[in-house]
Amino acid sequence: MQKGVVVIGGGIGGIQASLDLASRGFRVYLVEKSPGIGGRMAQLDKTFPTMDCSICILAPKMIECARHPDIQLLTYSEVKDVKGSVGNFKVTVLKKPRYIDLAKCTGCGICADHCPAEASSEFDENMGVRKAVYMPFPQAVPRVMVIDKDNCLECGLCERVCTANAVNMEQQPEEIELDVGAIVVATGFDMFDASLIPQYGYKRFRNVITAMELERTLCASGPTGGHLIRPSDGKIPRSIAFIQCVGSRDRRRWINHPYCSSICCKYAVKDAVLIKEHEPNSRVAIFYIDMRAFGRGFQEFVNRAKSEFGIAFIRSNPGEISEDPATDNLIVWFEDPVTRTVQHVSFDLVVLCPTLIPRKGVEKLAKILGVELDNYGFLKSADSVRKPLDTTVSGIFACGYCLGPKTGDVPDSVAQGSATAARIAEILAGEEVR
Amino acid sequence: MKYAFFLGCLIPAREPNYENSVRKIAPELGIELVEMKGANCCAPFGIQSVDYTSWLALAARNLCIAEQMGLDILTLCNDCYESLLMTNTILKEEKENRDRVNEILADVGLEFKGKTDVKIFSDVLYEDVGLEKLKNAVKEPFNGLRVAVQPGCHLTRPKRIHFGEQMGVTALDELVEAVGARSIAYERKEACCGGPLRGINDEVALHVAKQKLDGVRAAGADCVVSVCPFCYFELDMGQLEIKRHLKEEYNLPVLHLAELLRMAMGMRLEEWEVRAHRIPITEILKVKEAK
Amino acid sequence: MSLLDAHLMREIANTPRGRGVLACIQCGRCTSSCLVARVVEEHNPRKLMEMIILGLRSDVLLGRLPWHCLSCFTCLDRCPQGGDVGEAMFAIRNLAVREGNIPDGIVGQARSLFETGRVVTPSRMALVNREKYGLGKEAVVDVKAVQKILRKTSFDKLIYRGS
Repeated sequence: MQKGVVVIGGGIGGIQASLDLASRGFRVYLVEKSPGIGGRMAQLDKTFPTMDCSICILAPKMIECARHPDIQLLTYSEVKDVKGSVGNFKVTVLKKPRYIDLAKCTGCGICADHCPAEASSEFDENMGVRKAVYMPFPQAVPRVMVIDKDNCLECGLCERVCTANAVNMEQQPEEIELDVGAIVVATGFDMFDASLIPQYGYKRFRNVITAMELERTLCASGPTGGHLIRPSDGKIPRSIAFIQCVGSRDRRRWINHPYCSSICCKYAVKDAVLIKEHEPNSRVAIFYIDMRAFGRGFQEFVNRAKSEFGIAFIRSNPGEISEDPATDNLIVWFEDPVTRTVQHVSFDLVVLCPTLIPRKGVEKLAKILGVELDNYGFLKSADSVRKPLDTTVSGIFACGYCLGPKTGDVPDSVAQGSATAARIAEILAGEEVR
Repeated sequence: MKYAFFLGCLIPAREPNYENSVRKIAPELGIELVEMKGANCCAPFGIQSVDYTSWLALAARNLCIAEQMGLDILTLCNDCYESLLMTNTILKEEKENRDRVNEILADVGLEFKGKTDVKIFSDVLYEDVGLEKLKNAVKEPFNGLRVAVQPGCHLTRPKRIHFGEQMGVTALDELVEAVGARSIAYERKEACCGGPLRGINDEVALHVAKQKLDGVRAAGADCVVSVCPFCYFELDMGQLEIKRHLKEEYNLPVLHLAELLRMAMGMRLEEWEVRAHRIPITEILKVKEAK
Repeated sequence: MSLLDAHLMREIANTPRGRGVLACIQCGRCTSSCLVARVVEEHNPRKLMEMIILGLRSDVLLGRLPWHCLSCFTCLDRCPQGGDVGEAMFAIRNLAVREGNIPDGIVGQARSLFETGRVVTPSRMALVNREKYGLGKEAVVDVKAVQKILRKTSFDKLIYRGS
């Protein structure tokens, strides 16, 4: 039996699994598609309900991963092929070229300062720009630049200004083969495209944004430096509406996400409180169908949001949003649950909470691994009650949102990451309990 | 392309100009319209509100006539489209309903076999005729005339029935653009005109029409182009009533899609057809003459 | 104010177009989208569903609310439960008609349909004009067939009550 493990996905779940496995003496290969680990948690401003700074509690774990002698980070890489079976997998990983020498780059950023080419920043949810040569985010691990060849003008300026001689435009993709005993999938979630609910105006009205876009706006490392300003004119919004269940709990054939995404009520209340902390005089309303505030201090948090912060909780799902062309404000049409009449109210900013869906590329990965997916593209558990973290292939485990709408907050992903590590230890150390 | 021509009730009764334009442009586009002998009313929503089985049976009778002709149905009215299409879908999919309806139809010597399809005028133009053929038939394109298309409710809803099968609003936009006009975006483009409440609650009908016309005017349209005769009636005649009761004037001419195409194909509207528009279309005609 | 009738919801759910009442989660998206609700305060699809769930039989079946509906299906298309509020309106109207609750406008259409095979017939002037415009004679409806069908479904009994 091989004592190595491949962990696919460098978010909090994958990081935790890697750390637990490495501390037991397993050799861990942490494969991450993007240029840096951290996942969704690195994009958030604060976590609920403790309101801790997200990157502050994540970064120490990221660094531990980078420095651990038994963890090898394979960032900007993807799993291309898997052969074999539990105890003896042969995993082929494709390392995409960064065009930067990992060993030489110090992450100083001079190249980016001089780079003339700009592109939309994926990490900032396309709310901001980055250069063609860029650091994924300020706290990125590994702290190394990457060149996006698609947007690169190939002017050679970066190469000229780099004092460490780290630019290598001739870099080729590299395939490596890993012999491991088990695999963990921890690919997390994407947000559903809210323009599929056209009456909310996403992508048509500039001041209608998703919750992830709001997180990047509120985050100090984001495109606005943490200032709450709205996209169309940079004004500070004085009235903000949150709309829950955009695509979730939707049984219509052409939407087909009948499940509840489980974390949106929580993060919406968190974001509403954050906004109130930024702008105490603003008017914030959350339009919901049910307020799912279960467990872990949540109902108490909701109560505080109402009494201490004065956030309005309106039990009504809005029908449509229109835009006032003179002000770029949004007009939300809803039925007032108290007077039972249809009202329309103007807001400076509207935040949509869309359904959470599997990450792009999971379907392809599932075929490579041979694991089964459910109708919504999430990984299926071998037994959703007794073996929830086992996939349908022996030796391949999963943790976090890739398994479907989980409680999905950070403590749960951490717990599941640790749990997969324990499952793997059982198997590879030959101690599986039947 | 041959079709069983389903005219419905409203067009022969109130809007012969719509029928006339269709008959004039059909031969130019290779469409042959065959009369459905003895066809009855489609049983629109008012009748559907009275009794479910009566609706299915009446609509099915028309489907049977088309089946016997071996042709698909081409209809000019959104309400007829909705009634016939929904009935067709229900009877094709649900055995219990099909058996019940066939039991009734047996009395009049008919049997629903599910062999025909129902198509609305705009989809026929878009899918069966095609934009290329239409563009080739255009002799006098409109010069960027700003058109607010009124798709009407039943062109694309219920989506559950239409999903993935019909082109709906995109078809209308492209048909209008194919004759040189511009299909503009406006608020509540897919909203109802208010027509269904005419004769039942005229006041509400007018308020709903007003919401639509406000959006059209705000977007700066020169005219409205509709597919459905109910929409045409409500938005055209409705403007006179809104002027009288709600004290609001729009002066927005309303055209049938068929009329727009006919004019673009180089044909002149006859005197009686011009007069059939309650809101005068003289401005549009003047623009055409001037070229 | 009605007495509560616990069977109302089941009764409507059992009609062909009324299935949707069982799925309603009272989210309010239908009313928030309804064009008529913005004009007529009383017309409120969500409230109608609420009344059905509560069992307010006479409010539901004897009121004007279902007859203000445009059947535009906006609510139906937007309902996240795949629903059927728009369809349920038809189910309610079918039941309402059986209680004698039917607006005059619809009675007029229905009787015209029974007597002529059309909900609206061309006037004499319109018929003369047709020939003048070169549109040919008005197509003839097989009224006998229509009446045979409508007698079999007892449609005539519903629209000729007490007359």
